[in-house]
Amino acid sequence: MKQGFRDALRVLEDAGELRRIKKAVDPRHFSALAAQAKEATFFEAIEGYPSWRAASALVSTRKRLALAMGCGEADIARRFEDGIRRPVDARLVSDGPCQEVVWQGDAVDLTAIPLPLMHVKDGGPYISATMVVSKDPEYGRNVGSYRLMYRTPRDTGIDLVSSSDMRRYYQRALDAGRPLEIAVAVGVHPYEMLAASYKAPIDVDEYAIAGGLHGAPVDLVRCRTVDLEVPADAELVLEGELLPIGWTADEGPFGEFSHITGDVKWNPIFRVKCITHRRDPIFYMLQMPWENDWLAAPVIEAAGLQALRIASVEPVAIRAPVGGCCYWTLIASIRKRPGEGKNALLALLSVAEVKLAIVTDDDINIYDPDELDWAMTFRIQADHDVLIIPGARGKHIDPSVRAWSLGKGGLPTTAKLGIDATIPEGVPREQYERLRYFAKDAVRLEDYL
Amino acid sequence: MSPLAERLVADLRARPRHFAELVEAHAAVAWRDFLRAWGEVRGLEALGRDEQGRYVITAPAG
Repeated sequence: MKQGFRDALRVLEDAGELRRIKKAVDPRHFSALAAQAKEATFFEAIEGYPSWRAASALVSTRKRLALAMGCGEADIARRFEDGIRRPVDARLVSDGPCQEVVWQGDAVDLTAIPLPLMHVKDGGPYISATMVVSKDPEYGRNVGSYRLMYRTPRDTGIDLVSSSDMRRYYQRALDAGRPLEIAVAVGVHPYEMLAASYKAPIDVDEYAIAGGLHGAPVDLVRCRTVDLEVPADAELVLEGELLPIGWTADEGPFGEFSHITGDVKWNPIFRVKCITHRRDPIFYMLQMPWENDWLAAPVIEAAGLQALRIASVEPVAIRAPVGGCCYWTLIASIRKRPGEGKNALLALLSVAEVKLAIVTDDDINIYDPDELDWAMTFRIQADHDVLIIPGARGKHIDPSVRAWSLGKGGLPTTAKLGIDATIPEGVPREQYERLRYFAKDAVRLEDYL
Repeated sequence: MSPLAERLVADLRARPRHFAELVEAHAAVAWRDFLRAWGEVRGLEALGRDEQGRYVITAPAG
């Protein structure tokens, strides 16, 4: 059965991973408080917004993401792969709780939603946990995740700079001189957020990917004012259109998933025509950068597994560490045959913008930083086992690519680094036999306490 | 324009500011009132940015 946003909250609470905050909180303080909590946060009362509650940091650790995905922490990539391999078509239903309350016309007012101010250099309050739906007459429906910056009670900015299917849809609408209708669902299950984050081929419906992850169809309702469909169980929906003005309105800065403040960008404006929500809505604030990072992890790790298999290398485990923003670094252990340490590095470095890859043998627990350090200390000779690939595609928000020196429209390049921490060819595996304590299984400490 | 929006414009005429600096300067104002006033300032279409991403008023005083 398909789970909803509130089910995800319940799963976290049952696992002791949700902190309820009963005292009323100003939306200006959501982010700072969520950052101090060790658990996901649930704000039961909000100053100035008596009918709203808010939640944040649902998937800001690997543990909580795994809880939401119903799998072990080491299995998030395989769990994600299972979902995308078995898509389940969404189902249209006649009504849903996301439309229990409808504001249209003059009633549309974004200030009635507890919009959070997150970082000291942000260009304004942001709606960060979005599932944005659009449609193109030729390509069909697309779902992605794009941040929205509050501008006025009816307008937001939207970051549409990076290459995406919706950017293409908007460009096509712009060329035809018309706006692009969009709908934004906020407060959906992490599976829907994962599906929205996944760069599916243009002919693949992300709702079906979400259905594959749930193992059940996502129920959709038709929007009230635009020809689009949104998850029936969303907490909040904004309907409207991207104005045909091109990339002309200031948007940002924003605290990016790279853990750094980005630049002001020039982007379109989203004009909101209708707001619908549950009778007792919960606003979901994606806690930057952690939740954005962790939502990328299964996608990047699954891409790494696929790249390894295409290279005929057998993966055992894979990890996109949060220190690399779950995006720029991949660490994998493999069942190695001669030469496959290097093949594995080449495969991992071909994934998206991964710029650091480390490969170990299958006896190393890649989730243990000390074991990883040990392998990198004793299985590497730097003149043989370090691979540097210059001039590969980079990403603007990585300061080390010096994107500011490229001029408008310039695309950055980056060097990629691979470290083969597998046992070198010609060195017998016995050389790495670990210490074993005498009588380890014969005595128990608790018997002596 | 509301008195708060007028004060925000005056703040920005005095020097460029990040959004959060404006929020801190008017911390006692209810958040929703602040957002409404910011919407009014946006509506003037007189906002620009400096090289650090701070807001500035680009139009001359009316």
